[in-house]
Amino acid sequence: MTRQNDSPVPELGRLLSALCENGSQHLSRVESDLMQTMFLLNEAIEKIGQHFTAIHQAVSEQQAEFELLLAQMVLPAQLKDSEQISALRDLREVIGDEVNSAVVGLQFHDLTSQLISRTINRSNGLRDLLLTFKAHGDGISAAHEAEEMVRLLGEMGESLKHCSADPAGESCHSVQQRHLGCGEIELF
Amino acid sequence: MAKTILAVDDSGSLRQMVAFSLQAAGYNVVQAVDGQDGLNKAKEKTVDLVLTDQNMPIMDGLTLIKSLRGLGSYQKVPILMLTTESSDEMKARGKAAGANGWLVKPFDPKRLIEVVQKVIG
Repeated sequence: MTRQNDSPVPELGRLLSALCENGSQHLSRVESDLMQTMFLLNEAIEKIGQHFTAIHQAVSEQQAEFELLLAQMVLPAQLKDSEQISALRDLREVIGDEVNSAVVGLQFHDLTSQLISRTINRSNGLRDLLLTFKAHGDGISAAHEAEEMVRLLGEMGESLKHCSADPAGESCHSVQQRHLGCGEIELF
Repeated sequence: MAKTILAVDDSGSLRQMVAFSLQAAGYNVVQAVDGQDGLNKAKEKTVDLVLTDQNMPIMDGLTLIKSLRGLGSYQKVPILMLTTESSDEMKARGKAAGANGWLVKPFDPKRLIEVVQKVIG
């Protein structure tokens, strides 16, 4: 048996390669699921938004018709000032407030899709790193000289450093909202 | 004549909500999907106010503001940021770029309309 066969280094290299390959496969599935989640969310929110605006338009038209009808009708004085008529008019304000809250709530999609996109980007970056490490691991399996090993480890360190940098244009803290209350406003 | 607002955001649902809110208040809304699209539409049309997101593909909000301020016709047009970003550092960068205000998402339609009315009437 040669000294090369006794060394655990080739086995460690193979283990690293297998680990990286396995990890990158898992990350591919995570990315695929996240993409599908984002796709479904986009579809759902687009449809909900369309139906919501259509309902709001229909209710607004219904209220306008009601007001017109009320103006044209000759109603007894006691009915004009009745609680029912007043309640119907108050309903306009209630609907307005509910529409307002719904518009705030529907914005969850914008916030969550940013988070999903960022998670996909990070997963993608990590997968690229694992694939790079896998290639290095294959090199380690075949490397016999200490100098060659040092060079490969140095390259792995560089890949790790490169991958640790934030993806371009991404801020770590851009979505910090914990609830869907409206955000602050500042005029300069 | 109704005033025109350019809403720039890469999120379709957010643009939909902005347009819905502002149109209900009587404004015309032109939509753009990113900063570059916003810049192109701003050059094509006369816009009374720009409402832009920050984090967008192709061109972000701060770059859009700087590009618009570089155009003679947009030196005095109000520009508001509507973004998830809320740090003082980002606000300072927005102000330095030429933004007139900063609104943190999610926005409340009533308050958005109040701000828009205050800025452009």
